[in-house]
Amino acid sequence: MTIDHAPAPAGAGLSPEDQAELQLRHRKIRDAMAEQGLDVVLAYGPAWRRENIRYFTDVTPAGSAALVVFPAEGDAVAFSTRPSDLAAFTAQGWVGEARRLDPANPAELGVVLKELAPRRIGIAHHELVPLVLMETIRAAAPGAEVGSATKLLDTARLVKSEWELARMRRSAVVCAAGWEAFVDVLEPGLPEYRIVAEVEARLKNLGAEDNFMLIASGRDEVRGMTPPGDRLLEAGDMVRTELTPKMDGYWLQICRSAVVGKADDGQRKSFDLFNEAVEAGISVVRPGITAHEVAVAENDVFRKYGYGEYCTSNYTRVRGHGHGLHLDETPIIEGNHTVLPENSVFIIHPNTYTPLAGYHVLGDPVRVTADGCEVLITTERKLFETGDVA
Amino acid sequence: MKRGLHVLDPAETPDQEWGDRVAALQKAMAAQGVDVAFVYADVSRSDDLAYLTNLCLYWNEGVLAIPAEGPVTFLTKLSLRVQNWMKASSKVTEFSGGKNFADLVAKYLLGKKNGTLGLVDAALWPADVADEIVAAVPGWQVKRLDGLVREQRLIPSAAETELLRAAGRILDDAAAKATVAGSTAGSRVETVERALRGGGFLDLYPISLSTSDGVTSFGVTGQYRMNWVYSSRVLGAGDGWPGALKDALAAAIAAAKAGARIGSLAEAAAPALAKLPDGAKAEVRWVNQADLSTSGEFRAQDPAAVLAEGEAGAVSVEVAFADGGNAAVAETVRVTEGEPEHLTGAQR
Repeated sequence: MTIDHAPAPAGAGLSPEDQAELQLRHRKIRDAMAEQGLDVVLAYGPAWRRENIRYFTDVTPAGSAALVVFPAEGDAVAFSTRPSDLAAFTAQGWVGEARRLDPANPAELGVVLKELAPRRIGIAHHELVPLVLMETIRAAAPGAEVGSATKLLDTARLVKSEWELARMRRSAVVCAAGWEAFVDVLEPGLPEYRIVAEVEARLKNLGAEDNFMLIASGRDEVRGMTPPGDRLLEAGDMVRTELTPKMDGYWLQICRSAVVGKADDGQRKSFDLFNEAVEAGISVVRPGITAHEVAVAENDVFRKYGYGEYCTSNYTRVRGHGHGLHLDETPIIEGNHTVLPENSVFIIHPNTYTPLAGYHVLGDPVRVTADGCEVLITTERKLFETGDVA
Repeated sequence: MKRGLHVLDPAETPDQEWGDRVAALQKAMAAQGVDVAFVYADVSRSDDLAYLTNLCLYWNEGVLAIPAEGPVTFLTKLSLRVQNWMKASSKVTEFSGGKNFADLVAKYLLGKKNGTLGLVDAALWPADVADEIVAAVPGWQVKRLDGLVREQRLIPSAAETELLRAAGRILDDAAAKATVAGSTAGSRVETVERALRGGGFLDLYPISLSTSDGVTSFGVTGQYRMNWVYSSRVLGAGDGWPGALKDALAAAIAAAKAGARIGSLAEAAAPALAKLPDGAKAEVRWVNQADLSTSGEFRAQDPAAVLAEGEAGAVSVEVAFADGGNAAVAETVRVTEGEPEHLTGAQR
């Protein structure tokens, strides 16, 4: 099964490294497609979930919706709602053809699918495909079995290649710079949203394509993290952030907390508790460990000191999560028995509320190595106080 | 992503207006025989939700349930931990949390007399979510609705117009600073991030386009409170085709008067666009600010549609050159009977 109207072969102008990465990805996906009997994988990406589009194209489109049609044989075809994305797709060279996706009239998608005449279609992010597109897909491939390929793509992306790890290490450098910008700007009287403005400015100057960032300031009344408000910092506040820049498509997160001025005893005790939990999580990482086991190691520290209830959903979400082309991949949480293989990447962050000092944020991203793990960021794990040299 | 200032200020949007917005939707629902309407939102498409409630959906998905009478309820996959913040920063008082919308909707409708539920802007709902909800509420009729909330948002209220004016001033100033001679790709984005998020913008999307002859255009779409503005400018001097592009934008903006067809904007721009290089494909667009979060890409442009007084939106001219380059110019204006009011671009 091929797309016979492809105007140019994919990958022709790529560097040897990019070409190897492209072939690796195609092989991984096609092996999985063969196992599952899929003729076509269709990757859909609304604006907030572009990881699979990037996986196939090495482009993060600007359009409001994008899509890649990847047949069992032949080149992929990329679609975007924004015309300027089409040139970006073909210029990058990972796909041979790009077409416009018009959600009000997605006929071009129908044409491509009709030519392929697939019997089984797997859709990555099937759960997000809008009705108007799903109806086009079904009309273009009548009788085809249409199911989800979300897990197929998630699994393919779990183990990172050296090509990918090189990009994630660039994100790690930017994480450190973002945290320095965060600490540099803290002072009494500063509104929360100004902190974010400064961090975003620094990150973008360094080439970050995007950044996901939550923040909270105050003392033990702080229960969780949100977008910034207009609250003014006060001396003694602990200011927490999950800071997640994206470089070359890859997200990486750093979690740290800082005190405006000098930390009090509760804040120091809180840091010691969270630091021990992070270290406990790091200590158990090895190939084949499960997300559940990492979470248990972290939670056991809280339980040991009588803070176990704060590891529940009343106070927190997860003990960390996977990283890569999406910022929030495999959840590190008790009950998730996903195996974390060598060269998977995730952050260990036991972020939660406790009465010691309110919601505390601390965590490092790690790569699973053959005999343990590599911490990917260099930022010191400590309770920062303003005036510190980061 | 929504990581700028989120605020609920009654001095900016009076309490009465929030109630009026929901009441207007309930009136439209009644006209269509709908007992309960559901509005879907995700992190990249949440303006209807925000318009009705001031909720900021910074992550994941949510569904707002609007009954024929009474308060709205937010059905969310987000952890219940964030409800305190959501209550403090929105007009929503009722929340229901869970792992999937089918269960949440079934629970919400439990005890209510069977009737008709409506999916607002149904074509854009995730098909799986729509299917699950239909299966979860047997006995209820499900009606696919058009963009009922969007329709309310097409002409901003007086309060919204004031916020748009403030947004336009901040964006205009930021864009001017970001596009000074000697600026780089990194410095332009750095400048607008600092100026716009520092100026109170909630969300922003900078974009650079380039051509093979070395011309860059730099644009920013930004959200201030719940309203959107867009400006895009070609950097450098106005000789050659960039000058024609600017002339085309000026002509299209001048044509954006109350009662004018949207198609007339392209007609006004056509003489200037004829000066573009051979093979260049130009598109003149009007995108109401209600659609700017998705750059109007989920709505087909109807040349016969007529602009209304008070409507605010972006006039843009986007060009795709034959060799793969792209350029765009755009400004946001408010439609009047006479010359449109510039919300961005007024200082040039």
